[in-house]
Amino acid sequence: MGDDKKDKKKGFGLGKNLKEFVYGMAAHDTARFALKTRGSMEHLFILITMGDMLGIPILPPYYSLRLLPYVVPQISTWKRRMLREKDFTDTLA
Amino acid sequence: MNLTQVLAANPKMKYIMFGGKGGLGKTTFSAAAAHHLAKQGHKVLVFSVDPQASLSDIFQRDIFGKGATEIMPNLFAQEIDADRRIHDFQNDIRKKILDRYGFDKVPDEIESYIAAASSEPAMEESAIFDAVVDIVFQGEYDYYIYDLVPLGHALYYLSMSSIYDQWINKVTELRSEMQRYDKVASKLKSGGKSEEDEILTELQEIRRRIHLSSSIFTDKEKTGFFFVVAPEEMTILDTKKAEGLFAKFGVPIGGFIVNRVIPESLLQEAIPDYLRHRIEQQRQPMARIAETFGDRVVGNVPEFERDITGLDMISKVAANLFGGAK
Amino acid sequence: MNSVVLPVLGAVVYIVGMRVYASYIDRKVIGADPKRATPARMYADGVDFMPTSRSILFGYQFKSIAGAAPVLGPIIAIKWGWLPGLVWILLGTFFIGWVQDYTSAMVSVRNDGKTFGGISFSFISPRARTILMTFIYLYLLLIAAAFTNIVANALANAPRIPLAIAMLGVAGVIVGYLIYHGRMHLAVVTVIGLALFYVALVLNGQFDLKFGSAHTNWLVWVVFALVFSLFGSLLPIWSFVQPINYLSFYIVLIGMAIAVLGLVVKHPAMQRPMLTGFTVGNMPLWPMLFVTIACGAISGWHGIVSSTGTSRQLRSETDARPVAAGAMFMEMILALIALAIVGITAAGTTGSPDQLFASGLGSIFGFLHLPEKWGLAYGPVLIAILAITILHLVVRFMRIAANELMGRVLPVMRVPAIGTVVALILTFVLVITGTFNYIWVLFGSANQLMASLALMIGSIWLVSEKKKAGFALVPMVFMYITTMAAIILTCKQLLQQAFTGLSLAGQKLPAGQVAGNWIAGTIGVVLFVAALVLAYDGVGALLRFRRAETTEKGVA
Repeated sequence: MGDDKKDKKKGFGLGKNLKEFVYGMAAHDTARFALKTRGSMEHLFILITMGDMLGIPILPPYYSLRLLPYVVPQISTWKRRMLREKDFTDTLA
Repeated sequence: MNLTQVLAANPKMKYIMFGGKGGLGKTTFSAAAAHHLAKQGHKVLVFSVDPQASLSDIFQRDIFGKGATEIMPNLFAQEIDADRRIHDFQNDIRKKILDRYGFDKVPDEIESYIAAASSEPAMEESAIFDAVVDIVFQGEYDYYIYDLVPLGHALYYLSMSSIYDQWINKVTELRSEMQRYDKVASKLKSGGKSEEDEILTELQEIRRRIHLSSSIFTDKEKTGFFFVVAPEEMTILDTKKAEGLFAKFGVPIGGFIVNRVIPESLLQEAIPDYLRHRIEQQRQPMARIAETFGDRVVGNVPEFERDITGLDMISKVAANLFGGAK
Repeated sequence: MNSVVLPVLGAVVYIVGMRVYASYIDRKVIGADPKRATPARMYADGVDFMPTSRSILFGYQFKSIAGAAPVLGPIIAIKWGWLPGLVWILLGTFFIGWVQDYTSAMVSVRNDGKTFGGISFSFISPRARTILMTFIYLYLLLIAAAFTNIVANALANAPRIPLAIAMLGVAGVIVGYLIYHGRMHLAVVTVIGLALFYVALVLNGQFDLKFGSAHTNWLVWVVFALVFSLFGSLLPIWSFVQPINYLSFYIVLIGMAIAVLGLVVKHPAMQRPMLTGFTVGNMPLWPMLFVTIACGAISGWHGIVSSTGTSRQLRSETDARPVAAGAMFMEMILALIALAIVGITAAGTTGSPDQLFASGLGSIFGFLHLPEKWGLAYGPVLIAILAITILHLVVRFMRIAANELMGRVLPVMRVPAIGTVVALILTFVLVITGTFNYIWVLFGSANQLMASLALMIGSIWLVSEKKKAGFALVPMVFMYITTMAAIILTCKQLLQQAFTGLSLAGQKLPAGQVAGNWIAGTIGVVLFVAALVLAYDGVGALLRFRRAETTEKGVA
């Protein structure tokens, strides 16, 4: 919300907004796709390493634990996404 | 052939392991070998992960979980408390999480995962073998004698380590792929630099340690794995099988040591029939051993009149292993 | 009347619409709360949910919704004169268009970022989702058929451009590769891609690229469009669809910028008649205008985009209005510009939409003292690109939808190649046998039905939340009735022609066209039935929520 206030600053705000607008039209869908792909891979990675959290033991816990500190913030979103209902309109955008 | 000759023939050998079924005398030989080599002026560490603390028994000192303890000049012994290592490992992870994210306590679902890990079977093996990496590669000993837990664990670990290796390769590829998409996204957003992937670094470290760990078993120059057998049919068969499996994993087999041989010379003396029969019965397995393992038998160690404990008895065994001709 | 008046009126409607109407609804009815965590913030998973800045989303939304339709719709509608189109574009966007885009986004935002499928399932009925999915597949098929037609027409009528379009595919692959595997700066890569395109365009400008007779030539370009889409569907999206659409953005931007510049500089008068008549070409103004101009007034496609992509990226609830509503009003301006471009062409000139657009753009290039033939070439380039960029994406979606819908029953549909080929064959059949005008209005009808459904879902949600739903409900009823009327009329004409084997004018129809009428007519009927069932379930849901409200009131 603070960002909105900054955006409203004259001149500087307009330039930034215009740049973002053009980026949004030209490249955002491609960037979003790249990030989406990377994100799914990250989730796949977490599945492989921490799968036992969902009852899918793949890796021995010794090595999973070593990787655990790096993925802690993503565990709950990962779980939620693994278990979330999906339909093909997800792929549309 | 005896052990002295084996060592002479393999000057670079520094990882010596005795393996075999339980109760056949591995710990005895580990201690004996360690003693002998220490007496010769080499700095030796003999270590074990056996929760039954047989090294403590044999050296008649409580060394369990106390780190490398000096038994006599040049001779150090260590018994790893696997449970405590796992426990400490879990705490390290907890601390890492708390530090990294500034939590007051570890989130519940993460904590239950960490706590549950300790009861998983594979945890123990992995923790043990990883601990061995630290011991072997951080110390500055001339010889490391690893008193092994029963063959099963070692085989399991060896088979798993090549799988872990492949697994890590795949996962590392996955993370490199991910980095590529990251780069694309930041290229498109023009300017943002993508971060170094810490996980990739950690994975590479894990892989390095797994390699080191299995290299201790498979180094053609430095490793010598000695099977301990007794003159019994079952033992011979099992050992042959185990040898085959170990060879498959590329473990350099140093030789076979026959233990608990009742000396034939006893026949000259007045002995009970029971003993006479035992000696006669022993001949066939001994022949089998000679036939099966041939000149790879590097020691015939007799049954001693006493339990092997204490440095005196140990040096007797050592004399036999290292000096006695076949 | 001066053509510049069109965008000026648009600007007025834009400002009033955003600042007065949309703002009011946003604050008082929906109660957008900047402090409330949006799904993007709550679930930020780096996959679907990623909070994104408002300006970026505005660009993203606008680009996602603006395709060939806001340009072509007004051009096709010029047959009624420019006034009906103008009024519909302005009022339609003001009362209905932004409402649909905006409420679709908000419904999703307030429901954990669920998609339409998920929301219809929970709010309407379980079967609503299945019907919706089937409906969407048919909708995609119609888009594919309509847009293949457009591409083929454009390339057939302008034999000096096909090479450039083909080169666009090649350039796309190169650019995609360089972005993903190269180390060059994005600007350099972009310039390379565009250079390849423009060089091909200039090269093709020296000769006509056509094959055989007019009909054969047209067929060749139909196949070209389908093969192009084959690649789009089967190749990884980053290697074909995305880089091509990326380059296309610049190509189209340049064209539209020139168009706007030319209009502003010369401000020519509209030459087309204001109003020609009520029924033109067997199509009465009501209801057919409303399905001829879809995007640019209201379009169901937007609802899908709003509810899936955008809703999951909104950083704050208060961003929904500037992004979703704003983009719709912006698209309205685009439609007005297209209307202006065709409006300044000489009255009485006929031709396919791409030809009319080319003619208009040619004149505009002339205003800027650029060679008119550049405009005559760039016009169909824009049309072809606007159409093909959506076409290959749509075929891809059809493949995915087929997998989702039929994958369990017919496992073979899970094979991407099969799903794609099926989609392409269906499209081909529809294109070859159908008449463009009917395909276009069926597409428009499906589109507007989609919009009505989106509005219905929005209304149901509003009622379930005990909010004043009138601003969505009334437009929904209007759209629904109008669109259903259009479908009925279209089906009637199609099936009549199919049954009798005679055109409406009484001439005997060749077998191919008879078949085409059967096919198109059947599709229309299926759409109709699907829409009826959805409406039935929808009304049921509405009454359920209304009853709950009154019961509560009664108890209270």
